[in-house]
Amino acid sequence: MTNALVEVITSKAPEIRNRSLDSFCQNAAAADLQAACDELDRFRRTSENLYEHVRALFFLSTIYRYHLPPKLGPDAYGLIPYRGYQHLLERRFDEAIDEFLAARAGSGLTDTIASALAAAYHDLGFQTLANQVRRSVRSVRGNQWMFRVGHPTDHPLRVRPELLARRTPRDLFPALWERTPVRMDLSHSAWSDIFFLGMDFPEGARVLNVSVDLGVRGRDPHPQPPIEVFLRVVSQPVLRLVSVDLKATADVRSLAEVFDFAKDYLGLLKAGVIAAGIVPPGLEGSEESLENVLARVVGPGLGLEIVTKVNDIPKGSRLAVSTNLLAAIITVLMRATGQVKSLSGTLSESERRIVAARAILGEWLGGSGGGWQDSGGIWPAVKLIQGRLAAEEDPEWGISRGRLLPDHHLYAREEVSPAARQLLCESYVLVHGGMAQNVGPILEMVTEKYLLRSEPEWDARQKAIHLLDTIDQMLRAANIRELAAATTENFFGPIQTIIPWATNHYTETLISAVRERFGPSFWGFLMLGGMSGGGMGFAFEPSVRPAAEAYLEELMRAAKRNLERSLPFAMEPVVYDFAINDRGTSASLLSAGEVFLPPGYYALVAPQWLELGVRRLPPDRQAEVARFVSETRPEGRLAGSSHVLFSGLFPVTAHEDRDGEALERLLAENGFDRELHEQIRSDLRAGRIGLAQNRLPASTVIEDVAPQDVLHAVSEVSRGMARLGERALRQGEVAVVTLAAGAGSRWTQGAGVVKALHPFHRFAGQYRDFLEVHLAKSRRTSRLYECDLPHVVTTGYLTHEPIARALAEKNNYGYEGPVLLSRGRSVGLRMIPMPRDLRFAWEEMPQQILDEQAQKVRDSLRAALIGWAEAAGGGSDYIDNLPLQCLHPVGHWFEVPNLLRNGALARLLEQRPQLNYLMLHNIDTLGADLDPGLLGLHISHGACMSFEVISRRIDDRGGGLGRVNGQVRLIEGLAMPRETDEFKLTFYNSLTTWIDIEQLLKAFDLAREDLASEEKVTAAVRRVGARMPTYITLKDVKRRWGHGQEDLFPVAQFEKLWGDMTSLPGLPCQFIVVPRLRGQQLKEQAQLDGWLRDGSASYVDSRCLWT
Amino acid sequence: MQISKAVITAAGHGQRRLPLQRFVDLDGVEKTALEIIIEEVLSAGVEQICLVVRPGDQAAYAEAAGTFARMLVFVEQPEPRGYGDALYRAAGFVGNEAFIHLVSDHLYISHASQRCAQQLVETAKAERSPVSAVQATRESMLPYYGTIGGRRRAGRTDLYEIDHVVEKPTPTEAEQSLLVPGLRAGHYLCLFGMHVLTPTIFELLDPPAHADASGPVMLSPALAALARRENYLALELNGSRYNIGIKYGILMAQLALALSGADREDILDRLVEMLASRRSAV
Repeated sequence: MTNALVEVITSKAPEIRNRSLDSFCQNAAAADLQAACDELDRFRRTSENLYEHVRALFFLSTIYRYHLPPKLGPDAYGLIPYRGYQHLLERRFDEAIDEFLAARAGSGLTDTIASALAAAYHDLGFQTLANQVRRSVRSVRGNQWMFRVGHPTDHPLRVRPELLARRTPRDLFPALWERTPVRMDLSHSAWSDIFFLGMDFPEGARVLNVSVDLGVRGRDPHPQPPIEVFLRVVSQPVLRLVSVDLKATADVRSLAEVFDFAKDYLGLLKAGVIAAGIVPPGLEGSEESLENVLARVVGPGLGLEIVTKVNDIPKGSRLAVSTNLLAAIITVLMRATGQVKSLSGTLSESERRIVAARAILGEWLGGSGGGWQDSGGIWPAVKLIQGRLAAEEDPEWGISRGRLLPDHHLYAREEVSPAARQLLCESYVLVHGGMAQNVGPILEMVTEKYLLRSEPEWDARQKAIHLLDTIDQMLRAANIRELAAATTENFFGPIQTIIPWATNHYTETLISAVRERFGPSFWGFLMLGGMSGGGMGFAFEPSVRPAAEAYLEELMRAAKRNLERSLPFAMEPVVYDFAINDRGTSASLLSAGEVFLPPGYYALVAPQWLELGVRRLPPDRQAEVARFVSETRPEGRLAGSSHVLFSGLFPVTAHEDRDGEALERLLAENGFDRELHEQIRSDLRAGRIGLAQNRLPASTVIEDVAPQDVLHAVSEVSRGMARLGERALRQGEVAVVTLAAGAGSRWTQGAGVVKALHPFHRFAGQYRDFLEVHLAKSRRTSRLYECDLPHVVTTGYLTHEPIARALAEKNNYGYEGPVLLSRGRSVGLRMIPMPRDLRFAWEEMPQQILDEQAQKVRDSLRAALIGWAEAAGGGSDYIDNLPLQCLHPVGHWFEVPNLLRNGALARLLEQRPQLNYLMLHNIDTLGADLDPGLLGLHISHGACMSFEVISRRIDDRGGGLGRVNGQVRLIEGLAMPRETDEFKLTFYNSLTTWIDIEQLLKAFDLAREDLASEEKVTAAVRRVGARMPTYITLKDVKRRWGHGQEDLFPVAQFEKLWGDMTSLPGLPCQFIVVPRLRGQQLKEQAQLDGWLRDGSASYVDSRCLWT
Repeated sequence: MQISKAVITAAGHGQRRLPLQRFVDLDGVEKTALEIIIEEVLSAGVEQICLVVRPGDQAAYAEAAGTFARMLVFVEQPEPRGYGDALYRAAGFVGNEAFIHLVSDHLYISHASQRCAQQLVETAKAERSPVSAVQATRESMLPYYGTIGGRRRAGRTDLYEIDHVVEKPTPTEAEQSLLVPGLRAGHYLCLFGMHVLTPTIFELLDPPAHADASGPVMLSPALAALARRENYLALELNGSRYNIGIKYGILMAQLALALSGADREDILDRLVEMLASRRSAV
């Protein structure tokens, strides 16, 4: 078998090369798999062929992640060498692998080391691929010179004289006006245009790509090229960058600023300036002056102004607005410097190709990058874009099978008739569903699955290739009905087979409703871009299309209202009007007299004119002011835009007052403690609390637990214990407590939606949310043990109303037992973080270094955020967001005391005096259920609390089980005195806790009868709470603005955490090692694919009863 | 191939006074730039020289040519319609013969025993083809020169078969279509201002065909057409050219002449003295 895997990688024969890894691994023993890994590792170290090398890395990653762990024994756990982890963080993947392999050689392979090796091989694979794409981008002819220019005097570009022509210094310069369509992917190519795929499998990399003009239905009179870029010379030595849509403007005066992408919202414009060669990438870090560069390129004392506008097309449209905007900026700058011969009009094919290559370079500079079809808008109309095998004259020859840049076949009118084009426009309704999406993880998943050639996914890819042929034929035949049927088949077939997460509950709801409403007149669905929920297409019989547009608009809004607390939406859904653009990108040269910029431009710059004083403006700028004033007269072009101008001059604040009132109301309703808040602020500002102060003293001794410190679920649960647990279940002595008061920040990057209600996966044919899964487990327990199992859900300010509503609407998801809500009684108000805490988190704590360019962007963003915190004042209230986004939950420690304070436990005990035990678990611990054996283990040992722990994997960061100064307890990652301490700990806390109610009450110095006394309970909670440490944490919160724009801000908040209960002296706690499938937590959506592949999803399904 | 005629263009905008500029030549004798250029072509066996000038400039050039004035045939370019148009004016003078063409704002210094024009003419005669002199030039200088693309002639390190000629290309275009195997990264073969051409060039220039065009008639497109039409070569000369029309161009050309000629030691002494005194002043 060993040689067989290498043969799969190296074979030229497709039938061997395309074999899947799974088929080799399924029946292999662990020892054989390890031997295979050794062979693969030797192979990848010597292989000089890039793709063989990379495929070996992904094979290794997959074997260590998915195939070996189930074959290791339950005791195969251990530690991760910290040095290896450090190498991983610093992107020294080869060194990390060597460390982990040495650990494997020393103590044998453990689940822990397997996870570390899987991560290191995975990241090395992607780094190798990214490096190759980067090299290819740099080596494209026409791009290379830009990396050689290291000094302004070397700069070989000059602005064309046509743009410098003016009669007097008081005149404005002429301007170039570029107008560019966006691109619609008519086929969805199963992501075959991802660079990695296109360069390894060019034969399968094909898309049908249509350039379209856009308008927003009901807003714009007719579709037009949505992207506009104006370029002109200005009489100041600056790069004046203006984004009308993002309301951002800057006069860039230094080279360092040009390369500072995340400083403001103008990163894309800067990337365009660099990729067009105006400020070539070779000048980065040269310490030369931008003025000298501009003097060389434009002329002494002169600069350039670039103004962009995307007609308020919302972000996330999946029509590649950003890439085409970047391409438009590059095009106009290349026209201006003669790199593109055509100063105006459309581009030639060779010109479009070099612009596309530059756009890829620009995306890389900006730390992003989609696929090679994204700049399709610069080509006209309908085209088939296909990968090409590298030939001897290509820079990719001998390195990758395919070229970086594909070929574009423009359909002639004889191939796709005008009638077919018209019918296409008359049939499709394009929409933005409004969902916020992060397609990055999906592109990684696609690449990995392609390289592994897993059978279902590989078959699906073949099917997608076949479907593209059908789509192509149907377009040629003007049969849009069948074309739409093929795109629908693609969506429900190959696309979801490869990436199940491409669809979601929202999308499926829309499709079902449309299908029901329009029956056979609904022709089909088209997913645009990486995943659905944002840009989508619905095809209809043309006669019903107007009605369908109206229906879809209303349907999407209603569905959004219904789901917006459970799924992340970035904006109100919109319906687009669209038309095929037959020109591609096109430019006009406007004389000074003709230059007139969009009203939004003047709204941005007019306040600056006023601030500076018109007389101090340079002469051409004064001419601009005069033009502006003249156009605001009743007959002028700005006459109807006074509201735009005045809103720029006098920013409106009315809505902020309303938000302020709502915030105060929310704080009052949710038990906000102003006094405590002020105390925390004062402590935070004085440096008494903060990230550094979260840590235990440096003298604290942290050690791993000894074998006798833990119990093992697999080996130490006897039949007697299982019977004991079963009896307790049958007698109704147990209740479940699901913690659902938190914001689940990592799940949607601080979007402020209710994670418990996120329909994240299809079980038994239907999308189910976290809450339903937990209730389905309780249903199974209830039926198995014939008990009426109570299920308590703790809620907070963010989650209470939505969860209560969902339970009411869905009749507790059909759960027959009692479901109780325990509403939180505490809330905090987020604060602007202290700059020192941001520096501590970003500069002093070990960080995962990103890919070179992405790291630059992140550093730039972090510098900007520290600047924000300094300017806004660390420790100030965070109120510049929606009121709900300004509040924070105060940590899961409070959720148990809340059960006491809000009377939920008292009511439960009143109804069920026999209730003795609670099983408390986090919302994302999907495998936790009322296992009678574990319950029996808990009961028989007589502990107050039994905490479930799992053996650590490399992703399990944030604390663990250890001996802290000799005391066995859980310790939070925040509290570790040293980074290395966490790596001494074998076990990770799953947070699932079995609780003996009597003993818990005793720990609070309460008896059952005291629960009726609010005063006693409150005092008891305060007493215990005072002994719990308070942590300052940084959480990301999303701030949405404009049209689908989202910013992430780090905010400071405080928390008390449940695991710290184990630090209370004298409280009998025990720790049970449970299998990973039971203790695995789902913190991020990017985990879902692994969770599905490693059997966790099936395990969860097996613990549930759905009806 | 017999080459007995030379055409020197001196009608360019801002170029008209340059041939009158005086230099101390390699032999230590003071001469005008025009005299130096004429000596250059005479070294290649040329017998008749045509000078293309703007109307009214003839007398000044005749004086600047000194003793060579009697050899000159003057042709006027009535309107400033570009470099190609200027050359075209010499079509009648050239007749049916191959000829050498130089611009009047460049001086050449050979690093070999033969002068630059001589090297070029001998190659043209041997190859029986039009040949342009070229020099490997850094890409930052592309905005100033016509540039060729092509490939090395097998067995030669200094001779190229030209595929393409572009006037003042951007580096983007140069990298895509003007890369020449064997050159250092970021270097291109730029025209030297010295060509041996055949009368075919006049067919390709054909200014009357451009009569309606608003822009000037350029030589590079005609050279590009020549490359498509017949075997057209480029010779990387063993020498340097000095453009006296750019900033410090005259100074650099004079320094180069002085440091390559009879007065080298004397000039070096003076330069060292100047540098030393400059340092002490600081």
